[in-house]
Amino acid sequence: MNKHIISIDKVTKRFPVGDGEFTALNQVDLQFEKGEFAGIVGPSGSGKTTLLNIIGSLDTPTEGKAIVMDRNIKELSHKESAALRNKHLGFIFQVYNLLPVYTVFENVEFALILQNKSASERKKAVMEALEWVGLENMAKKKPAKLSGGEGQRVAIARAMVKRPEIVLADEPTANLDAKNAHAIIQTMKNLNKELNTTFLFSTHDEKVMAYLNRMVHLEDGKVVKDELIETQNFIS
Amino acid sequence: MKLAFQLAYKNLIGSGLRTWLNVGVLSFAFVIMIFYNGLIDGWDQQAKIDSIAWEYGHGQFLEESYDPFDPFTLQDGHAEFEKNKIKGLSPILIRQATIYPDGRMLSVSLKGIDAQQKTLKLPTATLEKSDAFIPAVIGKRMAESAKLEEGDEVLLRWRDKNGTFDAANITIVDIFDCNVPNVDNGQVWVSIEKLWEITGMTNHATMLIASEDYVHEEMKGWNYSSQEDLLKELSDIIAMKKTSGSIMYGLLLAIALLAIFDTQVLSIFRRQKEIGTYIALGMTRWQVVGLFTVEGSMYSFLATLVGSAYGIPFFYYMATNGITMAANADDMGISIADVIYPVFGIGLIVGSIILVVISATIVSFLPARKIAKMNPVDALKGKLS
Repeated sequence: MNKHIISIDKVTKRFPVGDGEFTALNQVDLQFEKGEFAGIVGPSGSGKTTLLNIIGSLDTPTEGKAIVMDRNIKELSHKESAALRNKHLGFIFQVYNLLPVYTVFENVEFALILQNKSASERKKAVMEALEWVGLENMAKKKPAKLSGGEGQRVAIARAMVKRPEIVLADEPTANLDAKNAHAIIQTMKNLNKELNTTFLFSTHDEKVMAYLNRMVHLEDGKVVKDELIETQNFIS
Repeated sequence: MKLAFQLAYKNLIGSGLRTWLNVGVLSFAFVIMIFYNGLIDGWDQQAKIDSIAWEYGHGQFLEESYDPFDPFTLQDGHAEFEKNKIKGLSPILIRQATIYPDGRMLSVSLKGIDAQQKTLKLPTATLEKSDAFIPAVIGKRMAESAKLEEGDEVLLRWRDKNGTFDAANITIVDIFDCNVPNVDNGQVWVSIEKLWEITGMTNHATMLIASEDYVHEEMKGWNYSSQEDLLKELSDIIAMKKTSGSIMYGLLLAIALLAIFDTQVLSIFRRQKEIGTYIALGMTRWQVVGLFTVEGSMYSFLATLVGSAYGIPFFYYMATNGITMAANADDMGISIADVIYPVFGIGLIVGSIILVVISATIVSFLPARKIAKMNPVDALKGKLS
């Protein structure tokens, strides 16, 4: 296995805009190792989400190579990229993206159903994941009955329940108040330590930045700074 | 696939009223479809049974120059037969005649039939029991149109074998109630012996009706039509009615399917983020297409359940109590009973279910195909138009 869990090699991503093109990522070179708690930071439009989407095999680079878990994203078929996401990647979205007709339990269980896990395995794993995020008593609630913070914690449980190697979190605190934002990040930080899962954030939230071990600064699609940071023991 | 069904079920139940409206319309189309076909099948069965019992018997010989659809052939459309050669056959001689009820003039078909015959359900035995000069039986419709009642006498005029007019009173000794207009409307039934006597056409017949135990043999000068041949025309008429009826329930089904199609299109548009989330969680695009297709086709499964809930008692009631037909329904010229009992066969029900499920699956799949071309990033952002 490659030493790097994620390897981005001269990745460029261009989108058609009107008659021309918009370059979202320009010759980006990055590597991430297992267990990192890293963030891609930068202003809106700097290419953070695009980079995360490529790493998450939801999108492909126009040029360059993105290798995730030893798989070249550009060369994966739809089926292979679905399998990569299902087994190795967890996603946390800005607006949680919980499935509205399912209960909290069922939302978290979903990824395991796709992995054909048995009902007893699923139940055990889901309850454990809900315990991680402190929502074991809300298993039967529907997403509409949850607060923003609770919704995002369900999203974390959903991303973590299958114990993926990498969790990609796109602006996970953007819709949360400061207290909830800190609680969410602290939860992820704990899981990062406990399970050695690689967390990769796209954010411009300073509350998140305070927890990161590494910050990759993007501007106009280019990496302008890549810094390692001393861990702070932030307490809200 | 099991997953798709589980998810589809949850999504449908979670959609609440929208789901139940679609299911309601589809189940209604489904019940109407089965009911209408059951009604036609019931009518078909009843019409065939009645036609065999009252008109066709188990086959017919027609004198070769007689065409039942051409009244001009009646005059000469008869021939002599040998009594010992017609085992299992009942002769009928048809002559044109006129009756004068209440001073009005009515053209009738004067039909002579063996009073002892048992092949047709006509109450011919009463012809033998009467002491009247010319006892006659007529059908309910004929009695109504001629304003005749049992025991009435009415003047009958006919031509004998030489073409000479003759007239005498006939006595109505029985009025029968049957569903076959061809043996009722404009028909006067008398004993064939009496008809031979008054026309001088002894041993002549226009047609010979086969009984159940008749063993077919060709007869020179007579054309044979089997029971199947005779029923074919009836089957064709009923098949035609079935086809025209299918347009009605086809439209109803189309409305239900259009509702599912619209729901699917709207659902795919509104649930883009959900679709993106499914893909992000590890479903392939075709799995999501499958999920939405199953979701749409599950309307038909739910419609089957809902339709069964009110359809089965309804069908049972209809099959037991029948449907009363309008008094003038038999003006269409084929036999219609006063009450028709619909027949709901397994084939009809299973066929209807398959038709509805396949149709619902197709109309669900058509819009769902779009998902296969979706960019998951755009879907997650809800940016697709």
